[in-house]
Amino acid sequence: MLAAKTITLPSGKTVKQPFNKIIIPAAIAIAVFIVCSWVVLQNKGTLKLYEIGTIFKQLFSPTDYPAMNIHHTWGDYFGYLFSLEIREALGETLRMSFIGSIIGSVLCLPFAILCSQNIVKTKWIYVPMRFIINLVRTMPTMVMAVIAVSLIGMGALAGIIATSIFTFGIMTKMLYECIEALDMGPYEALQSCGANKTQAFFYSVFPQLLPTYLGYFIYNFEINVRTSIVLGYVGAGGLGVILQANMDSIYTRSRVGAILIMMFLLVLLMQAFTRYVRGKLQ
Amino acid sequence: MMKFWNKKKHEIKKIQTQLNDQEQASQKVADKYNQRPKKWMYNGGIALLVVAAVVYAFISSEISIRDVDFATQFYYLWRGFTHPNTDFLFDMSKGGVPYLTLETIAIAFSGTFLAAILAIPFGFLTAKNVVGKHWSKLGEVLLIIIRTFPEIVLALVLIRVIGMGATTGALTIGIHSIGMLAKLYAEAIENMDQGPIEALDAVGANVWQKIRYGILPQVIPDFLSVALYRFDINVRSATILGMVSAGGLGAPLIFASQAWNWSQMSSVLIAIVIMVITVDFISSKLRQKLV
Repeated sequence: MLAAKTITLPSGKTVKQPFNKIIIPAAIAIAVFIVCSWVVLQNKGTLKLYEIGTIFKQLFSPTDYPAMNIHHTWGDYFGYLFSLEIREALGETLRMSFIGSIIGSVLCLPFAILCSQNIVKTKWIYVPMRFIINLVRTMPTMVMAVIAVSLIGMGALAGIIATSIFTFGIMTKMLYECIEALDMGPYEALQSCGANKTQAFFYSVFPQLLPTYLGYFIYNFEINVRTSIVLGYVGAGGLGVILQANMDSIYTRSRVGAILIMMFLLVLLMQAFTRYVRGKLQ
Repeated sequence: MMKFWNKKKHEIKKIQTQLNDQEQASQKVADKYNQRPKKWMYNGGIALLVVAAVVYAFISSEISIRDVDFATQFYYLWRGFTHPNTDFLFDMSKGGVPYLTLETIAIAFSGTFLAAILAIPFGFLTAKNVVGKHWSKLGEVLLIIIRTFPEIVLALVLIRVIGMGATTGALTIGIHSIGMLAKLYAEAIENMDQGPIEALDAVGANVWQKIRYGILPQVIPDFLSVALYRFDINVRSATILGMVSAGGLGAPLIFASQAWNWSQMSSVLIAIVIMVITVDFISSKLRQKLV
């Protein structure tokens, strides 16, 4: 395989087939995969393949346990789908992610300006700022939520803090990259007319930035809805809370299925909404 | 004398007409300006709506803060974060942070590797230029279902089937990542240049030769860069999967948080930060080489 193949052409010339360079990275990747899967397989449980059908049946059909005298019908299943509990949890998820996105995207404005190379020209301001933002971005939202929950207790506030920190990190990065790619002509023109830096920023950079900023906000809102759905699993409010509460018992597992269906619908609606708004913005 | 006055009159008239013209022109500009599309009502309405939504969201979410002494709580947090549990951080056994970090990266890598391979058929079956418009819609719906099924719930389902442990985490990531990877693969396939395939057709290549020499060389760099990007994301989600006992750093993190053991938590957080920064750095360097 590694030996170069020689081909003799009808004219008598011999041509060597060039060495395929993709073999080396592919071999490295496969070797790493073998090592990794060896590490992973050190820690495995017992395989129960027959469970897979059972669990999906439990999730997506009404609970029926003759032994416990529990007989739920499809009416109960769909009744739970639109019950008050789920509606409230859905509302809380939406509010949490909305407030988190608002706080994060307002907070990110000054930091994005401080991070951008073409507005703040001093190196010792924007380099440490970027380092801090990168540090903020390394933390997964779920880990943030865990810290917030153990600090201020369970509830929507912990989720709001986690989502706003996440939004802050990602929005700052996206915005300063956007500011650096802006056309700085109007900014310089205004400064040469005698405007100070703030005036020049608000009349030249801001109008250029606004549509992009709104687009990023909508994008972040969508991500935050997706993440805050499961944030409740660690106690940070929203749909995850009832998901976690119903997951452990086999008698309430059909509720988990109903919650999953609602999650799916919510995400689909959010996708349609963001697509519509982004279409309007452009 | 009369001649002179006539001349002057003529000049004055000329100036007057000029002024009139100017006035008319500026009037025209002003008229046009007044006829500009009145968007302030629309924009103001949307702004009002957004403000109302913000106010409503803040008021209606009953934010309650637990009755705690915040000063002491933050003091404990600060003391824990400045004094990480070094015994735990440098514990070389299977329960220590270094091994768990390795396990987290292993979960992310093997999961991404599996997904990167499994997503190839899904990608081809979702690409519009391979299967046509209607079948591609069906594939898209399937991928959306895979993507929206939350990772944690998938892990909880798989735990019943495979049992607790890192293998479950790797499989969860492997299945969940297919959703995004296949979508981006399909986009790469749709953006492919048709020229080489037509050329291969012209020299009489069969289907496999067309795939090998016409399609693969074009799409493999895109596929690899997408898979590397997903690896970045998966390293983060592998830390989360530990919280439902699917292996990795999440389990000690959630135990420490439930026991308010800030020093142990901070040693886990240090490991997460170092791991994520390193992985991000390596994968961005590799991606730069690819493109």
